[in-house]
Amino acid sequence: MKKDGFLQISFSWLFAFIVGGFILFLAIYAAVKMINTSETEIDARIGKEIGILLNPLEISFESEKTTSLTTPVTTRIINKCYPSGIFGEQVIQIQQKSFNKWTNTNIDIGFSNKYIFSERQTEGKKFYVFLKPFEFPFKVADLIFLSSADKNYCFVDAPEQIKNKLTDLSQKNIFNEDDLKNCPESSIKVCFGTGNCNIKINQNANYVEKQNKRLYFETDALMYAAIFAEPEIYECQVKRLMQRTSELAILYKDKATFIARTGCNSNLDLVSLSTLASGLEQSSQLTSLFQIVNKIGENNNDADCKLW
Amino acid sequence: MMQIVNYGKTKKAQLKIQQMAFMLIAVTIFFALVGMFVLVFKFSELKESASLLEEKDAILLAEKLANSPEFSCGDSFGTHKLNCIDADKIMILKSRISRYSNFWGSSNIEIRKIYPGITGKVLCNSGNYPNCNIIRLISDEITGVDASTFVSLCRKELDTGSDLGFYNKCELAKLMVSYEQK
Repeated sequence: MKKDGFLQISFSWLFAFIVGGFILFLAIYAAVKMINTSETEIDARIGKEIGILLNPLEISFESEKTTSLTTPVTTRIINKCYPSGIFGEQVIQIQQKSFNKWTNTNIDIGFSNKYIFSERQTEGKKFYVFLKPFEFPFKVADLIFLSSADKNYCFVDAPEQIKNKLTDLSQKNIFNEDDLKNCPESSIKVCFGTGNCNIKINQNANYVEKQNKRLYFETDALMYAAIFAEPEIYECQVKRLMQRTSELAILYKDKATFIARTGCNSNLDLVSLSTLASGLEQSSQLTSLFQIVNKIGENNNDADCKLW
Repeated sequence: MMQIVNYGKTKKAQLKIQQMAFMLIAVTIFFALVGMFVLVFKFSELKESASLLEEKDAILLAEKLANSPEFSCGDSFGTHKLNCIDADKIMILKSRISRYSNFWGSSNIEIRKIYPGITGKVLCNSGNYPNCNIIRLISDEITGVDASTFVSLCRKELDTGSDLGFYNKCELAKLMVSYEQK
């Protein structure tokens, strides 16, 4: 009579099952980890590539033309701005849709010399980018305006000069209409003056009103920046631009002293500009700064020896 | 007799366990080797793509730098010039370079005067400028690989004969951006 148990499994089988299971678990774990790592790697690489690809746009002879970026899968570009440090930092983070889920990457790609104006998160497969130089009174940087092809902007009753510039861009997600009714549905309406719009521009007081906030601007470049950027990003980027303005003002002040030995004299109040620009905290302070900027710009243009 | 049989069975089982243990060690070593090989392969691929990105960045940066506000001539030498570097501004930038650390993301930036040339390599400093031919911006030694572009290098020169007392002098130069190879 056999007195063995109901289920007879030899030791070697039991051992093989346990070890086999363990090896299988390890293999699956390693594969999942590797997929996650390569997702992170792809996101980081795309982020860096976007930054690199923006370089030639900044030297383009036709700086006010639109360029498009297309990604193979739906991509989310997260725009972050940090004002700390000498020049602050522009950070972009990339997330891609994989199996209907966003990849969770926390890799920040940082640039100190770029200024991207966009929503906090821009989603899509196709993105439009156009640049405008920001001069205050010397050239400070090229501002980068980024928007998703899925998001339309409808400019209502824009002044002729702005209308022409927008038409020249030939950006497919920007519409120029005389009446609000003609705007595409679900587009972001941008009004010059009054109207029931998402974004209102007051060109007399130089501010853009959006999300119940007033974003002050000087020069056309900053007006576009206020239209396309999230209010927090706009304020941060303006602060960073002023940090660079301040450094450039000191550079030009020192240059003026340096070239004075050749008899090339210029007398511009660049110290005041540098001090005021570095102390700027909010865009509402731009108006007072602009008066000095205008004066310095005029004096430089009239000088025999131009500094820039 | 019974004891001898039991002893033989135990020995056989021990042998089997030993066999299994060796097999397990072999399988583990095999998987570890495969894993290491995959990791090395992945890592070298990653390094290669990082180097490629750095190279691409340096090439495009070299083209962009000449027209960036810290380098460009702007309108200060007559009309607006493209790919023109203001040498006077660069000398000031050199003295303030600590404030621009990692601003352009390259390991070094150098401007070499090509024509008219002077014999030997003379690094520019505030004492010998403009009688020198190399302006090194970031570090003293060029490291890694470089990308370059041709530019005009302009400066103001003293001219006692003219009404203004100065004139604009432009020379041919090469702007070099170097990057560390990963």
